[in-house]
Amino acid sequence: MTAARPQASGGRRPGFGAVQALLGLVLAALCVAPFAIVLVVSFGQVVEGASWRWALSLENYLRFFVGLEWPASTSFLYLQKLWWTLVYAGLAAVIAVAFAFPFTWLTTRQSRRIQTVWLVFLLSSLSLSEVFVVMGWDVLLSNRSGLPMVFRETGLTDWLQSVGWFDTLRDWGMATPRNVRFKTSVFATVLTMSYLVFPYAVILLYPALSRLDPAMLEAARTMGARPFTVIRTVVLPAARLPLTGAALLLFVYLLGAYVVVSVFADPARQTLTITIYESVRGATLNAPFGAAQAVILLLTAGGFLLASLRLSRLAEAKA
Amino acid sequence: MTSRLATPSLARSGALRVSRRSILKGAAGLAAVSALGAPALAQSRSLKIGSYGGYFENSFKEHVYPKFTEATGIAVESVTQPNSSDWLVTMQNAAQSGTVPADLSLYARDTMIRASRIGGLLAPLQPAAMPKAEGLDPKFLYTADSGLVGVGAMSWFTSMVVNPNVVEAPASWAEFWDPSTYEASLGISKLYNSHFLDIAAATFFDGEATMMSRDGIVAVVEKVAELKGNVGLWWSAESQMEQAMKNEDVIGGIYYHDVAGIMAAEGFPIASIFPKEGNPQDYGSWCLAEGSEKAEEAAAFIDFSSDPATQALMSRMIGTAPLLPQSATDLTDEEFAAVSGTPAITPAYEAYLDMGEFIKETWEKMLAAA
Repeated sequence: MTAARPQASGGRRPGFGAVQALLGLVLAALCVAPFAIVLVVSFGQVVEGASWRWALSLENYLRFFVGLEWPASTSFLYLQKLWWTLVYAGLAAVIAVAFAFPFTWLTTRQSRRIQTVWLVFLLSSLSLSEVFVVMGWDVLLSNRSGLPMVFRETGLTDWLQSVGWFDTLRDWGMATPRNVRFKTSVFATVLTMSYLVFPYAVILLYPALSRLDPAMLEAARTMGARPFTVIRTVVLPAARLPLTGAALLLFVYLLGAYVVVSVFADPARQTLTITIYESVRGATLNAPFGAAQAVILLLTAGGFLLASLRLSRLAEAKA
Repeated sequence: MTSRLATPSLARSGALRVSRRSILKGAAGLAAVSALGAPALAQSRSLKIGSYGGYFENSFKEHVYPKFTEATGIAVESVTQPNSSDWLVTMQNAAQSGTVPADLSLYARDTMIRASRIGGLLAPLQPAAMPKAEGLDPKFLYTADSGLVGVGAMSWFTSMVVNPNVVEAPASWAEFWDPSTYEASLGISKLYNSHFLDIAAATFFDGEATMMSRDGIVAVVEKVAELKGNVGLWWSAESQMEQAMKNEDVIGGIYYHDVAGIMAAEGFPIASIFPKEGNPQDYGSWCLAEGSEKAEEAAAFIDFSSDPATQALMSRMIGTAPLLPQSATDLTDEEFAAVSGTPAITPAYEAYLDMGEFIKETWEKMLAAA
C-alpha cells in the first residue's frame, strides 16, 4: 500500500489550514487530552484511607503484574483479569462472526425487499443497550422463568438425576442440589456477548457479501461445484478480509464490555473493566491504579490491532 | 436491573440507597438540585441538605424536611448525592473552587473518616447547639482531632436472607457453609467491604478484634473461601440480588433487612433473619461542609434529626433503623422489628480504612482463585 499520495501543494485555498488546525484542536481535546490525563494519573500514588496524590511512581504498573505484596509474595490477579478479558472478547467475536457469515450470505441471496426488512430489524436491535440485552438473557436463563424452568417442567432435570449426569453438572458448577443453573458462567457471558455484537457482525459483513460478483458463483456452479463447495472455495476466500476485519473490530469493542461481565461472570472469571471501575469509583478511590489498568488494556488492544495489521500485510505480500 | 448496573460498586459500601429505588435517577443527577416548596426569600433562613438520590431523597423531601421547616422556619433545599464516596470527590472539587454544593451532607462512616483525614472538607460541629444528639448511642457520634464532625443520621442492617419455601431459617451463619443444602445457591455481595467479612469474623472468630491484624484478616478470608462452592451469585448491585431471589436463582445470602421486608410484604419468597451471631449494622452521618455559612441552621437540623420522634418518623417512612433504643421511641415492636434487630455486628471500620488495599486484594485473590 505504498501508492503515491497526492503531494501537499501550495495551491490550497486560504482558510483551509485554519480549518484543519481547528479540527486538530478538537481532536486533541476529545481524544488525546483524556488519554493524556489517564496516563498521567496512572503514575500517581494512593494515600491509604484518604485520597491520592500526583507522583511519578511505577508501583501501579508493578502491582498489575506481580500484585500488591510483591516481593513478599507474588500474585497474578490482574494478569488473570486481562486473560479473561481477552478470552471473552475473542470467543464472542469469533462466534458472532461465525454465525453472522452464513446468515448474511443467505440474506444477500434474498430479494431486495426481504434484505431491507432484515437490515432494518438488525439496525433497530442495535438501539438495545447492553443493559437491556443482559436483562433479557438474565430472565431467559433464570431458574423460575427461564431455561432451568424448562428443564424442571419437562422432566429433563429428573432424567439427568436418574442417569447420574446431574452430579457431573454439579461438579462443573452448572447445577444446585435442586436444578440445573446456567449463570453465573462462562457460557452465559460468551453467549450474551456474542448476541450483543451479532448485529454489528452482520452489518460489517453485508457490504462485502452483497457486492460479491454473482457471475463468479454462477461460473463455479456451471463447472459442477456444489453450493457448499462454492461457499468454501469462492465466497469464503473472497470474504476473508471482511471476516477478519469484523472479528477484530468486535474483539476490540468487546474488550470494554462491562454489564455482561458484572452480571454473568463469577468473580474468578471477571475482566479488567470491572476492576478498573472498582478502583476508580469503589471504596478505595484508587484512581491511579485504575488508570494504570486502563493504560495496559489500551496498549493490549493496540498491540492486537497492530499485530493483525502486520499479519494482513504479510498475507497480502504472499498473495 | 437498572442503570445502576453501570455503577454497581456504589452499593452501600458508601452509599445508603443507590438501590432499585433510585431507578429513575440512574447514574446521573450528580448536580441535580431541587428546591423544596416555594422559593425562599432572600432574608429567610435556609439550609442545603444532601442525601442519596431516588426513593431516599424523595422520602426526606416528603416526610422529614417539611416537619423541620414547620418546627424551625428554616427552609430546606434538597441536594442529590449519588452516594457517599462519589460525593466526596464532588466536595473535594468544590472545596478547591471555593463553593459549597450542600451545607449538610450524608456520609458513610468510612467516607466521613476519609474526608476528615483529607482535611479542609468537614467543619467541626457545635455540640452545645444540638443537645438532642447526646441522646443517640455514642458510637454514632464521630469526633476527629478538630472536634465533633459527624452525627449519626440513620442506620440500616445487612441481614441473612433465605427463601422460606425452600429452606428453614438457619439459627447460625455457619449453616451457610453446608453444601448439601446450599451448594451454588447463595447470593453474597462481591464487595470486600460489604460486611460479609465481619459476619465471618463474628461467626468463626473474635469479630472486630480479629479484623484488626493482617493475620486475622487472612484467616477470615480463608474461612470465606470455604464457602465459595456454595455461592451461586457474587452480586455487585443490589438489584442483582433482588432479581436472583425473585427468580429463585439463589435461595439465600445477604441482603438489606429493610428492602427484604418490603419484598416479603409484596409476596416474594424472602425472609430476613437475625441468626444468633447477629447482622451487621451500618449507618450514615450528617457532616457540615467546610466553608458553609449555615452552621447554626445545620445544628438546628441535626438536633431535629436526633430527636426520638424524628428517628421514629424515619423508621416508619423511610425504613431506617433508629440510632437510639426502641424504648426511647414510640415505635411498636412490629415497627421496630421491620427496621432493626439484635444482636448487631459492628463493622471493623478502622481496618477497612487503614488496611483497605490489603483487605481488598486478599479478598479479590480469594474470589479470583478457581
